[in-house]
Amino acid sequence: MIVGTRKALAEIQGMVSGYDRILLAGCDTCVAECAAGGKKEVAEMAAALQLLFCQAGQSKDIREVSVDRQCIHEFLLDVVAAAEQADAVVSLACGAGVQALASLLPHTPVFPGLNTLFIGETAQRGLWLENCRGCGDCVLGDTAGICPVSRCAKVLSNGPCGGAKEGLCEINISLKLDPPAPCAWLQIYDRLKALDQLDRLMVMRPPKDWSKAHSSGPRRVVRPDQQA
Amino acid sequence: MNEKIKVVVLACGQALPEPQGLRDSLAGAGLAARVVAEPCSSKIEVYQLLRILAREADMVWMIGCPETACQYLEGSSRMSKRVAYAQNYLIELNLEPQRLGMSIIAPGDAGVLKGVIAQIAEMAQVLGPLAFHAAGLAAKESTQ
Repeated sequence: MIVGTRKALAEIQGMVSGYDRILLAGCDTCVAECAAGGKKEVAEMAAALQLLFCQAGQSKDIREVSVDRQCIHEFLLDVVAAAEQADAVVSLACGAGVQALASLLPHTPVFPGLNTLFIGETAQRGLWLENCRGCGDCVLGDTAGICPVSRCAKVLSNGPCGGAKEGLCEINISLKLDPPAPCAWLQIYDRLKALDQLDRLMVMRPPKDWSKAHSSGPRRVVRPDQQA
Repeated sequence: MNEKIKVVVLACGQALPEPQGLRDSLAGAGLAARVVAEPCSSKIEVYQLLRILAREADMVWMIGCPETACQYLEGSSRMSKRVAYAQNYLIELNLEPQRLGMSIIAPGDAGVLKGVIAQIAEMAQVLGPLAFHAAGLAAKESTQ
């Protein structure tokens, strides 16, 4: 799931203040799950922007639409249709959704309503945790299904740094996280021990190949068998 | 000034089984009041609170049951969290967060209800109408 958070209203106001008809477009999958960009949050932002513009003495035509996924072009048809009546669109999707929508609206400005943060999971009600950075070289098979790339603050590949205290990562000291962040490598150790696979820790992993991450520019996946 | 202030009260039907009486009491206090009966305070969403402020009201007040008496178990605790969340929007908007308020009333507790009415009327006096409502500006209805 892609996790994001709403941009400050003032920032959004700055992006769209020059437009009279504004369409807010939600995405009802990932960012709805993290309560940032689904149908409810679109309604929230619409009402909040109405309050903001009314306070500024401006009357805006703010409309709402929401689709299951903004990252898939076929799902965007309802947004494209609604955008015909808009001077600008604020997308509450992740960055991929914003760009997919922009590509289908060559003559209408599309602005982001969220800051896209990470690939994560819903750990509990109201708590979302980063657990994948899309590094392109997954090591979860060696680390008991716990990712040291996203969950170790120092992105270490071969065990803990030594800064952990009582099972917790040392970032808790400065960030005062609640709930606190555990040491990912301790979690890896505990889980491998439970799986009777501690021998996996004896294998030295070479430096990570970051060329598969983002260091070689925009990545792409091509599947000829899936193409038209 | 008070008669220009509009208050919308969203009340749990269990906490306030006779909403008409509250409306009359608030009108008696000089407020333009609308009372909406809800099945449970947990059914009220943040966007509804903001939308009501944007479109019609100068204050929105929620009424729920004591947390231990909520027939849906978590309703009242959710109400207080949502009000707090919505108040953060008002702070971000440079509006007084007290424009969104809430009270807890045990079903049939007339004494507490009387105090709530006084509290709403007093807060309305302090806050006054929203400037843009007073200027005749209200949000248009959003369309989906």
